[in-house]
Amino acid sequence: MTQYAQTQTTVSEYSELSILQRTDKRDIAYVVYGIVILLMVVCAYLMAIFGWLPHDPEEMQLELMLAGPGAPGHLLGTDFMGRDTLPRLILVIKAYFVPGLMYIAVAILLGGIFGILSGYYGNKYETVVTYITNIIDSFPRLILMLLVVAAFKPDIYYIMMVLGVTNAPLVSQLIKGKISMLRQKNFVESAIALGIPDARIIFKHILWFNCRSYLIIQATLGMGEAILLESALSYLGFGVQEPTPSWGNMVQQGANYLLQGQLWSSTIPAMAIMFTVLGFYLLGDGLNNMLEGKRQS
Amino acid sequence: MGDAILKVTDLKKHFIQGKGLMSFMQRQTIPAVDGVSFDVNTHETLGLVGESGCGKTTTGKLILKLSQPSSGNIVYDGIDIVPMSNREFRPMRSKIQMIFQDLDAALNPKMRIGQILGETIKIHNKHLDDSAVTARMYELLEMVNLKKNKLSNFPSELSGGEKRRVGIARTLSVNPKFIVADEPTSALDVSIQAQVINLMVDLQKQLGLSYLFITHDLRLMELVSHRVAVMYLGRIVEIGDAKKVAQHPRHPYTEILWSSLHVKQSAAALKVQQHNAKAGAAWDVFDFTEEDKGCRFAPRCPVFAEKGQPQACTQQSPTLQDCASGHKVACHFPL
Amino acid sequence: MNNSPLLKIEELRTYFYSRTKQAFIRSVDGVDLEVNKGDTLGIVGESGSGKSVSMLSIMGLIAARPGIITGQVWYQQEQARINLLAGLQDHVQVSKNDGRIMSVEKTDLAWQRRLEKNMLGIRGKEIAMIFQNPKSAMNPFFTIGHQIVENITRHTQYKSRKEAKERALYWLERVKIDSPQLRFYNYPYGLSGGMCQRAMIATALSSEAKLLIADEPTTGLDATIQARIADLLEELRAQTGVTIVLISHDMGVIGRLSNKIAVMYGGRVMESGPAQAVIDHADGKSHPYTEALLKSIPREDNMSSQGHLNSIDGEVLDTINVPRGCRFASRCQRINKSIEKMCLNEEPPLATVSDGHKIRCWHFAGV
Repeated sequence: MTQYAQTQTTVSEYSELSILQRTDKRDIAYVVYGIVILLMVVCAYLMAIFGWLPHDPEEMQLELMLAGPGAPGHLLGTDFMGRDTLPRLILVIKAYFVPGLMYIAVAILLGGIFGILSGYYGNKYETVVTYITNIIDSFPRLILMLLVVAAFKPDIYYIMMVLGVTNAPLVSQLIKGKISMLRQKNFVESAIALGIPDARIIFKHILWFNCRSYLIIQATLGMGEAILLESALSYLGFGVQEPTPSWGNMVQQGANYLLQGQLWSSTIPAMAIMFTVLGFYLLGDGLNNMLEGKRQS
Repeated sequence: MGDAILKVTDLKKHFIQGKGLMSFMQRQTIPAVDGVSFDVNTHETLGLVGESGCGKTTTGKLILKLSQPSSGNIVYDGIDIVPMSNREFRPMRSKIQMIFQDLDAALNPKMRIGQILGETIKIHNKHLDDSAVTARMYELLEMVNLKKNKLSNFPSELSGGEKRRVGIARTLSVNPKFIVADEPTSALDVSIQAQVINLMVDLQKQLGLSYLFITHDLRLMELVSHRVAVMYLGRIVEIGDAKKVAQHPRHPYTEILWSSLHVKQSAAALKVQQHNAKAGAAWDVFDFTEEDKGCRFAPRCPVFAEKGQPQACTQQSPTLQDCASGHKVACHFPL
Repeated sequence: MNNSPLLKIEELRTYFYSRTKQAFIRSVDGVDLEVNKGDTLGIVGESGSGKSVSMLSIMGLIAARPGIITGQVWYQQEQARINLLAGLQDHVQVSKNDGRIMSVEKTDLAWQRRLEKNMLGIRGKEIAMIFQNPKSAMNPFFTIGHQIVENITRHTQYKSRKEAKERALYWLERVKIDSPQLRFYNYPYGLSGGMCQRAMIATALSSEAKLLIADEPTTGLDATIQARIADLLEELRAQTGVTIVLISHDMGVIGRLSNKIAVMYGGRVMESGPAQAVIDHADGKSHPYTEALLKSIPREDNMSSQGHLNSIDGEVLDTINVPRGCRFASRCQRINKSIEKMCLNEEPPLATVSDGHKIRCWHFAGV
């Protein structure tokens, strides 16, 4: 019946509660789920690198075409050519991993530069940055990716690059907002008055101490978005091309057989997308609430 | 008292403000600081008083080169700091320091007190090793009467008075000689205010500091400062010995300021209220779109009204005139 | 009937639950106050003493979760005397020994709804409030005039827009805003701080409230404007007979305006009584805290020979771990051997010293 009972604290001193003790249990659950997904992703990546695959991803077993999960020797079933789904799912992670990191790096680097220029130095820089970010923002992402893929080649690196650039305005906005908020509280001014060099103020005081959790959150959220967009692109047939597997093109291939009642070869990769993206989103959300604190209502 | 450690001559800072939608069409220049001159002697506290918006904080920031003056000279210890670039000025920053009005503002909310202090100590003494830095930190904490265990706290875990002490410790960490204190106690309670003021007075004696003490609290000003400068709309209207200015003000504005403290308002102040319905603050009364050539206080001035709006007040801007040993006043008709 | 006080606060407690510390912050911890009709009660204390929170509690402006209120607030209406906090104690568990709140029922929504119901027809109509920062307390998206007119049509008999506007202009004139016809159409940001405070006073009074709670009305304004706002409040009280509760940390303002003073520390009333009796602190006739407060006002005669101001050593009370004895004991100058034990172990009662003058201190408890 009691919502918050008075916990007896000793009269002398009490220590601050740790971050885990003062966060909502739901947020902790989010983060735990996210971390589990993240661990699975890392495991899959290592498995793919060292070739510890449960089955040969290229081997076709025509007699076992479009098998459901649990078919003999195939844990998650097979696709329309009788290839095992599980190792192909794992291989995709290997294909996503480095480009995904690159995407985060590009987004944060570019967004960070933009954000610092407009937030810290302001004035003319701000105008220029606003123009650039507006131009980037005004392009629909998917169309931009299609254009790049059409102009160069359907490679995941190009796609992630485009994603990174198009995500930069968002990151820049966040950093700019944070910096202008901090400037209002004028501790930046006091740091200048103490003779601390600009670079140190920007990187240590602003980015490291005040924006790091923002950036981590942004990276996790961005990761989920990247997977989603890449899948959409591959599903449309513009992304990663056969025979290289990608979750998007796996869903697409399986979808051809949906009407024939063969549900599994499409829904298994779709579920992989769903759980992974959800994992990243929940991780980002939970981290946000844990590190930044919920907005006071 | 000794020689002037800081000499400010004809300091000006004009902000350009756009008005309305077509902001780039109608630019309005606001002279936030308009020809301010004063000097601060070593071991002295010069008080700077005025209403909000009179340019006192801007003056303080100009001295620290946190914004660049439009014109004028600021000579610190014989060196003019106005033409210096930020890079050139950086080594001098350890000599001139500022205590900021906002308690939280000056402290990075995500850094621990130890980190905050340690950093500033290291910035100006790069050769110090960790143990020396820690020793210096303890020394600073002792100076401002703070417990050592506060070093591991975040600023948000401290009370107002403690935050102010950390702020002072931080400014002291670079061994300054001259400190601009911008309303150091306005955010504190009366009882804590007294602690902080006493600390500042003690430190001045111990370390031979000079203060530029910016405040709107006249009672405090009168007790703490040796000399007082009264600012009105970007100009100094009266400057002189603190006791003299408080007890025998010569400028009508100073008179009104001080009389507002007393329980019963003085006759002069009451007169203003009766004759002048414009009860707003200074900037509302004064219109900067018109050419200003007269005395800026004229629209609110009781003497101006009493004397039948003399020509001199509207046509000619009064300059600071010495009226008694160092007591200067800018008024055509000093009281 | 007429002799009963307009507002009588009994055992008011306002706690906030701190999630980071997992404990109640006891902001207001058993406050008893009386405000008679036509009085100006000045509540003085340091920040964190609970002076603002206690008044916000009366106005029902403390949101449930994390805030929680118990106690009785009797408000004298024309016919009846009503308890503004009626029924709220059903939702909280209170310690039998000292009456402090132990825990709260899970459904704080019911608590909130009850509070809102109690406040209906009181807040804004009978009790009005003005705040420290007028610019943020007024809605920036509506004109001054609109806000006053809205208040008038809601709470008074002037229901038509035309009448209400006339009334609003009357109030603007009353608070001495120059050219009210023009200011009527101004937005709050178009006014200076002092002007905005006047507009807020006009808004508060326009509902013809019987009780005006002024929370630090002059803090943050310039010295010259401060004096005028204080004069204005005094004048309005004399003319309209409105009862004022004035909250301030500035002894100067309090002494100037109020005829009764209550001194708060750590969520408790330490001293209350007629203004003259409280301010007259010579010969230890008032509470040590009041004395220390008065002595720390920067003034010539409060300076020591070394150019020091008198200060109260130590920090403001930690309202989570409230000490067992007198709350002021750790900073008290007048604590001595003979009563030390009492001071540290038992909280002194509010003892009546002379007519209406009460002091919470062991020095006076025997009188």
